[in-house]
Parts: sequence; C-alpha cells; structure tokens
Amino acid sequence: MAKVINLTIDGKAAQAPEGSTLIAAAEMNGIHIPNLCYLKGMKGIGACRLCLVEIEGMKAPMISCTTKVKEGMVVNTRTERVQEVRKFVVDLILSMHPLDCMTCTKAGVCNLQQYAYDFEIKESNFTRKKFGYPVDQSNPFIKRDPEYCVLCSRCIRICKSQGTNVLEFSGRGVGAKVVTANDKPLQESNCTFCGNCIDVCPVNAILESDRWRKGREWEYTKAATVCLSCGNACSTIVSTKDGEVMKINSGASEGTAERFLCAVGRFGFDSVKGDLRVTAPMKRVGGKLEETSWEDAIALAAEKLKIAGAEASFISSGSILNEDAALMKKMASDVVKTKNIDSTVSLYSEYDAMNSATADLENADLFVLVGLAPDQWKRVLPALDAIVRKRMNDGGAKLLVLNSKEPKIASVATAFLKGDEVKMLEELAQAVISKGVKAPKEMIEALAHVNPSDAAMNAADVFEAAKVPVIFSSPALYKAALNLSLIKGDAVAVPLEANAKGVIMMGMTSEGKKFNEIISSSSKVLYAVGETPVKTRPDTGFLIVQTSYMTDLAKQADLILPSAAALESDGTIIDYLGRLKQVKMTCEPVGQSRQNSDIFMSVAAAMGTPLKMVKDTDIKKAAKTKVKVAFSPFKRGKGLDIDVEQFINDMRISTINGSRLLWLKELETAVAV
Amino acid sequence: MAELKADKTNEPKVDDIKAAAEEKGCPVQKAKYYITEFLSGPMCGRCLPCSLGSYEAVVRLDRLVEGSGREADIAALRRIATEMLDGSMCKKGKDTAKFILDWMDTDVYREHIEGRCPDQKCLAFIEYRVVPEKCTMCGLCKDACHYGAVHGDKSKPFLSGYRPFEIRQKKCVKCDECRKVCPEEAIVILDIKKKEPVGV
Repeated sequence: MAKVINLTIDGKAAQAPEGSTLIAAAEMNGIHIPNLCYLKGMKGIGACRLCLVEIEGMKAPMISCTTKVKEGMVVNTRTERVQEVRKFVVDLILSMHPLDCMTCTKAGVCNLQQYAYDFEIKESNFTRKKFGYPVDQSNPFIKRDPEYCVLCSRCIRICKSQGTNVLEFSGRGVGAKVVTANDKPLQESNCTFCGNCIDVCPVNAILESDRWRKGREWEYTKAATVCLSCGNACSTIVSTKDGEVMKINSGASEGTAERFLCAVGRFGFDSVKGDLRVTAPMKRVGGKLEETSWEDAIALAAEKLKIAGAEASFISSGSILNEDAALMKKMASDVVKTKNIDSTVSLYSEYDAMNSATADLENADLFVLVGLAPDQWKRVLPALDAIVRKRMNDGGAKLLVLNSKEPKIASVATAFLKGDEVKMLEELAQAVISKGVKAPKEMIEALAHVNPSDAAMNAADVFEAAKVPVIFSSPALYKAALNLSLIKGDAVAVPLEANAKGVIMMGMTSEGKKFNEIISSSSKVLYAVGETPVKTRPDTGFLIVQTSYMTDLAKQADLILPSAAALESDGTIIDYLGRLKQVKMTCEPVGQSRQNSDIFMSVAAAMGTPLKMVKDTDIKKAAKTKVKVAFSPFKRGKGLDIDVEQFINDMRISTINGSRLLWLKELETAVAV
Repeated sequence: MAELKADKTNEPKVDDIKAAAEEKGCPVQKAKYYITEFLSGPMCGRCLPCSLGSYEAVVRLDRLVEGSGREADIAALRRIATEMLDGSMCKKGKDTAKFILDWMDTDVYREHIEGRCPDQKCLAFIEYRVVPEKCTMCGLCKDACHYGAVHGDKSKPFLSGYRPFEIRQKKCVKCDECRKVCPEEAIVILDIKKKEPVGV
C-alpha cells in the first residue's frame, strides 16, 4: 500500500495515499471541491479552474486536480479568493448555456445547475451568447447538443482513453465545439455507440436519445445489477420508472478502468419489451405452435421428462444465473435422473479452466492477451478491450499480445507475438527464463528445447520489467497461459458468456454426453435453456425450449416455456474474474414469463420430486472453489476452437434483433460490405 | 498537437500585439484591440477563465467604445480582469488581465461611460465642426469628404450670399479626412457631451 500522507483540508485533519491529487484527497475526506473538467482516474487538465484552492505558503491559488498531496500541507478550499474565481467561471458558462433547467432532462444531476445553485447565480451577469449549433440526433442512441456544452472536454478524453478516439474540439475559446472528424454525424465516424461520453458529460450536451420526457433522475428507481450479454459481465446501474427501464449506466465505481459499457449493455434494454419476446407458454398442436396455460405446459414437460428418464438431455447457455444452473443440475440428476446435462461453455472451454481466478486490474502494469481478440468495434469482449486501452493510456500499463491472427488490439501492443499461441507462450516463457528469472523446475525442463525468437526476447523484457502482470487467455489456452503466471502474475481465462464460470462451478458439468454430442446425437427429450447457438432442431423425440426470445430453435420446439430476461431476473453470477455479482430484477417479467428457477421447481414438483430454492450460502460456498496453480504441459485444449465472433453473434441475435441495436448492426454490415 | 505548434510560429506574439496596441490613442481602444487580437491569435483556449473571460471583455469594451457603456460594464471588466489574473492557467491570460487592470484605476473607463474620450479617439463621443471665424470657404474639405457630409458654397470673388461651410453630423463618419486637408485648421474635434461653443 502507498504511504499515507497527513494534511489539513479546511481546518480538518485529513489522510490520503501518497501520490493522490488534492481533489481526490478532499473527496476521500468528504470535502467536495467544485469541478467540471476533472475525471476521476484520469490526469487532470486544469481547464475549468473551478478546483482552485489556496495552499498556505503559496502566493497564487493552485488547481487541485493536478497538485499532489504533500505531508503537512494546509489547504483551504473555500476562501473568498477561489470562490470568486469559481463564481466567475460558472457565471461565464451560464452566459452561453441555455437556461431551461425546467425542461432539461439533466436537471437534478447537472453539475452546472448545482454550482449555479451553490454560488447563488440566478442568471448570468454577463452578456448572453447564442451559437445556433445544430443538434446531432440522427442516431437512436446518443443525442449531442453543442448548445449545452461547457467545454470541459470530458467526452473527448474518455473517448481517447478507451481508444475509440472519435471526438475532438474544433476551434477554441468561446467558439469551440466538440465534433467528430469533419463534424459528421456519429454514425459516419468510427463511433461504437458505447455511450460512455454520456456517463461523463456534466450537463445536457450528450445524452441518451430516448430520454426526452421519460422522467428525470429523481423519478427513477435505481438498481445495481450486471449485464449478461457477454463474458465481461459489466456492472450496471439500471434506472426504472413505473416498472420500465429508462436508461442503463455503468455500475463500476468511478475512476476505475472497468467503468465502461458497450452499446449492447447500455442500449439493448428495449429488447426486453421487443417483438421477439415469448410471453406465454406454447405447445405444438398439429404442427403449429399455440399458446397454452402454464399448468398444461408444466404437466406436459413433466410427463415427457418422466418417460425419457436417463435418455433425456439438458443443455443451457452460459448466461443463466447461478441459482438457475444449480437447480437445473439438481433437476437433471436428482429428478429426471440423467447424466446428459451440459452448457455452451463446453464448446470453448474445459471445465477446470473455468475455476475461479482473479486479478487486480486497477494496479496491473502489464496485460498479456493470449489468443484473445477483444474488440470494441466488433463488440467481442468490448469491455476488456476498453479496460486494457484505458489502463495503457491513463495508467501507463504495457500490453503483450500473443495471437495467431492479427486482432485490432495488437496495433497498440507494446509487443505482438504473431504465431501459434502455444508456441509463442513457450518462447516467451523460455525467453523470460533465459534472462535468469526463477521458474519451476518442470517448466525449465519442458522448455529446454525451445529457442526463443528475437521478438520473444523483446517481449520478455517487457514481461520481466512488469511488477503486476495480468495474463488474460482464451479458455482453450488457459492451462498453457497459467504456466506463465508461475513465473509472475495472475492468469485468468476469459469466457465468452457472462456466467460461464458460475455455470461450471454450480456443477453443470456433464458426466454423460457433452454439449456437442447432445446436439448431434438423438435423445428422447431435449430440454434447452436460454439462448444457445443451436439453430436447427437436433434429433429428438420432444424438444422443450425455455427461453425469453423466439430463437430459431424455439421456432422448432414442441414446447416453449417463456422465461424472464436478464433484466427481469434475480440471482447471482460469477464473472470472468471470479467475482460473485448480484443480478437484480429491475422490472416485472413480461407477460406470463417466469424466472428460470421457478419453472424448474414447478416441473420438478409436477414430476413428484419437489426441489427447494438454492440457498445463498450454498452458492457462496460453491463459488469459493479455487484451482491449484501447478505446471501443466504447454498444450491447447482440444476441440475448443470456435469462431468467437460467430458464437457471440448467435448468442446475442435475439437481443439485437428485438432492439434498436438492429439499426446499428445493419449500419455496420452496410459499411463493412 | 504538432500542427498547433507549427501554426504558432506564424501567429503574432503577445508582445507584438502589445506594441501595436500602443499606437491606438485611447486606452479603451488599446485594450479592445489587444484582447481582440489576443483572442484570434495567441489565446490557446485551454482554460475557461481566460478564453471565456477575454471574449466577454471585448463585448464590454466594445460598449464603452461605442458609447453605450454603463457602470455595470466597468464592474464586469474589473471582475473579469481580477478573476482572470487569479484563475488563468498561464502568463498570457494573466498579462491580458493586467492590460485591462492597468487603466482601471485611472478615470479613463469612467469618462467613457460618461460620454467622453479624453484622447478624443472614440468616435462615438466626438464630432467635427467648422469654426466659421477661421474658415476661408476654400472648399477643400468638401472635395475631400467621400460621404457628402460637408455642406457650403465655395467662395467666389465679388459674389455674395454664400452658405457657410458646415458638417452634417448625421452623414459624418468621422474619418478625419476634412480636418487633414484644411489649410486653416478651421475644422476641430469636439466632445459631444461638453457642447462648448464653437470658435474662441
């Protein structure tokens, strides 16, 4: 831990870790220093000058967003002198800002409004300035209104930091404006519509497009939950009003690299109420799917499962909750008594690669990406891409990329080892060892024959210099990558689905047929849960699909059980870093759809063996299993090579098709062609 | 950033602007010129007090020069300068603030809101008049005026009934051309507010 510095802020004794800025130190001690341009976690730029403070012994006021704490410093944040400067700046900004707080969507969370209140500025004392800029609202996600802009450049800096680099200032001073290249609409720039500029905008200049008269901050009910759209499982804050989701913001704490959401996580919530939702149980009558009652549907499922017994098979996606996975496993093994239960996780990962491992992202000074191609533009693990780029841009972290293809992120890597990942890992490990770094004996022996290339030697320099390396690998390469962590750092397998680790840890591992075998062989009854990438009906006597959306597979089902969508479910997941995260129900399930766990319990009860809800303590216990870190041969997991992009598309297709994200997808395909 | 730096070599330096500003007679005009040039040139726009403050200062100085200045404008200017001096990021902003402040303690700003430019440079406060006693009715001023503001009949020997020369204030743009050509120094600049009798 960093050394603790003692200082005095506004007459109160305060402590802060060495190296922190005054503004952060004040915040830690419960004192807010006004600011518009400061972005926690990023370097201060001192543009707004609101954060000026007076330090005893210094003649001129200092900006607290760049000044570091020093032992014994005596800081006054509210002297008349600095208050006057603050008032002056707010006054000036107000002279060029629309004074329509009464209808402004940002009212209540607008920093400018707050400061105008704090400094008692009813209206500006300066000359009114108006620019007549056009509003960019030609896309369904982000509305940009430069008229409201306070020139804090937060949006520009966050966009640069995460590597998207779309926004920039044109002009300077009063006439400055935040623009894309050539001032084109967002969709004609390289914008990924992640909307993180919305999260940082202190005013109403950048906002969700669909927020007009959809309620303001104080009308919302907020719930901290998790996005289940991909393996990153980002924390979110969901705002609802009258039971409807109004907006989603990032839920990771301010200033962390994890504070990121992609377009799917932020804007995909409209699919919950979209046309593709299944809202009532349906069964096939005379070749057609018809709505039926829950009693009928449950009875039918129970009857078919009872007959099938050991010849029934269960498959699920890796995005179902821990509670659902545990109950599903119990139902399959204790009630239906079949061994054939598996999840999509086994398509890309060995079971033991999914065991919990964690890493410290915020302090990592080196990221090693093994066989992973996170990509914000293709929305393949976009948060991981953003996290790595942010840590590189703001925290000076380095990046090694080991990949047989050429992923986009390799272009910013400190060193890129192109070639078969296992070979590259061997070379890198051997290069590090050859520099005299300690390693387990078995590893040294196993690598004796390897002759590292120059590129590997260079990469080894980077690895050797790192203090806290974090090794992210694709699950198939986890065991090989784990060897590198025996030298230094933590290795983490990054799955493609939000709860892949949880599903495995809750026991969804097959002792009978595996996923691929289940869908390619015949079964008496196939019970499929969640959105799976299976598009054609496998050979089965009776197909039960428990899903929230009318997927391709659901269309071919004999029985559809409508389940609650991610935003309508309560439970937990285990994310890629092995953290247990709470998923909260933010709105009531649509129509007659019910939670996965409810359906499992009903079916089990109808079969005569009632199941109890899984206890939180059991989940916590199961989530604690840790893998032993030991040397294993440098090898790739067998049969786990899948087309990652295709897989992620398949898993997401119903969310995207039922949402305005379809607009974006069509736009992007059009551009790609 | 590289481009920005390249541009800067062609931009006027603060000192050059200062020197050019000195040529303006009236301190208010000096300040206005200085800040206008500062805004279009060396002002980097990296901090808000300076970039927004100097813009506002020009608006206020404009009013003073044009004769629509009020007490509030002086107060605003004083506030802008004081806070810019404290709040600006770099020396350029602080220098600009000082430029305004330098004259704050003299009466020159106040004179302007009262309708006088002590240096008789601000056009809103002056008018051109012909001193009849000095005028020889030579007509040079009438020829020099591009705006038809000078009226009067050129004197011809042995004729009487000439209209005396005078300047129509509504047409006069105060370009100073007539005064320059007058061989008799019969055209004078007067403060509008003072309304002293012409002549003497």
